[in-house]
Amino acid sequence: MIMLSLIWLLQDFAQLMLMGICMIPDVFLLAILFIALLPGKTKEEQSKLIWAAFIGGLLWDLRWTNLPGLTSAVSCGLIGLACVIWQKRLPSTGRTPLPFMLILAGCELLYALTHCFFWTMPSQSALRQFIVQQLIAVPVIIVFTWLFSRISERDG
Amino acid sequence: MRILFRESRPWLHSFIAVLAGAVVLFLSSRLGGAKLTAVEFVNSVLSYPEKPALALRNIIKLSGNWVLERANLKERVERLELKNLALEEALQRAGVNAPPAAGAYISAVVTLRYPQEWWQELRIDKGTQDGVRDGAAVSSEGYLVGRVTRTSGHSSWVELITSSSFLIAAAVDQTRDLGVVAGDGRGNLRLLYIPDERNIKRGMSVSTSLMNDIIPPGLSIGTIIGAGEEKEGYREMRIAAGAHLTQLYSVEVFMPNGGGAQK
Repeated sequence: MIMLSLIWLLQDFAQLMLMGICMIPDVFLLAILFIALLPGKTKEEQSKLIWAAFIGGLLWDLRWTNLPGLTSAVSCGLIGLACVIWQKRLPSTGRTPLPFMLILAGCELLYALTHCFFWTMPSQSALRQFIVQQLIAVPVIIVFTWLFSRISERDG
Repeated sequence: MRILFRESRPWLHSFIAVLAGAVVLFLSSRLGGAKLTAVEFVNSVLSYPEKPALALRNIIKLSGNWVLERANLKERVERLELKNLALEEALQRAGVNAPPAAGAYISAVVTLRYPQEWWQELRIDKGTQDGVRDGAAVSSEGYLVGRVTRTSGHSSWVELITSSSFLIAAAVDQTRDLGVVAGDGRGNLRLLYIPDERNIKRGMSVSTSLMNDIIPPGLSIGTIIGAGEEKEGYREMRIAAGAHLTQLYSVEVFMPNGGGAQK
């Protein structure tokens, strides 16, 4: 939880640094997804992570979006969906870095699209912000996938 | 609680959390006061760990724009000095004593601007402790961008001129026609209540008219870019804001009589 708190704060600092330039991707959500989908994670741990995402999302909304509950609901829904797909739809042999990366990318895209819907900035600016946000998310997703790959290999 | 976490499944927790999020969202839209209190609390708590990041951002921003801003400001100061000299000469010729300066500006950094309320409001890092007063005019590069609507100790909220609830008395500089500048919440500005027969042309400038002691008269707002629809003998004029409203990083807050600023 300390690690997640630090990631939330780092994301907050990054958004503060880039305020007025671009929106940053939800690294906090991606980090929770990364932890929740790691091999050997129990349902109990995943459930706790969902509520951590709820609190982090609520704080993010109170700080940055002025729509308290939106990020919480979207994040928790996406994590729940990702956990179901990962454990119920994918066989254990299929839980490789590629589907992991696709799930992370899909969640980030859905998260950003939901927020975009509530923006009132001009459509051109919104599109530009959306594209930049997704481009910044690419290296973050690659890093998490690389970490997932390393941990999966280590744990056999 | 441990049993709840151990026994239930993630999708169920996820479902409950989504519902809880939706309830919070619904309640926050109904209880505006409670939401505002929560927002202010979280922002004030986070303002302490955020201070180094904010300082770093300002250093990067200021160093990046220093050369450009310096040249721009130098040019503006020279232009204003010449204008001031001409006005002083005109006053002397008319035998009028120049009045003392009525106020000053303090610089403030924009610390928050919600994408959802892009054209409505923003928050700055100066508050009542710095002498900022409710209703004070806020400008950027010499153009009006809004006015202070809520103040706390170290921060204030500024309602932008493009806000749908923004109304301010204004005058067309070239003709001295008086009207009201209004925003529409979508980034557009209109000058209302101009009689249809008046000869207002594209390119004429609009500035604030005398209202009270916290909105200085003569502060530029923007320029006329066209005529809008006519209603009951009055024509709406479309205005382009003079300030770069999509690139507001720092602003100036008007302090009547110097404002008693502590910083």
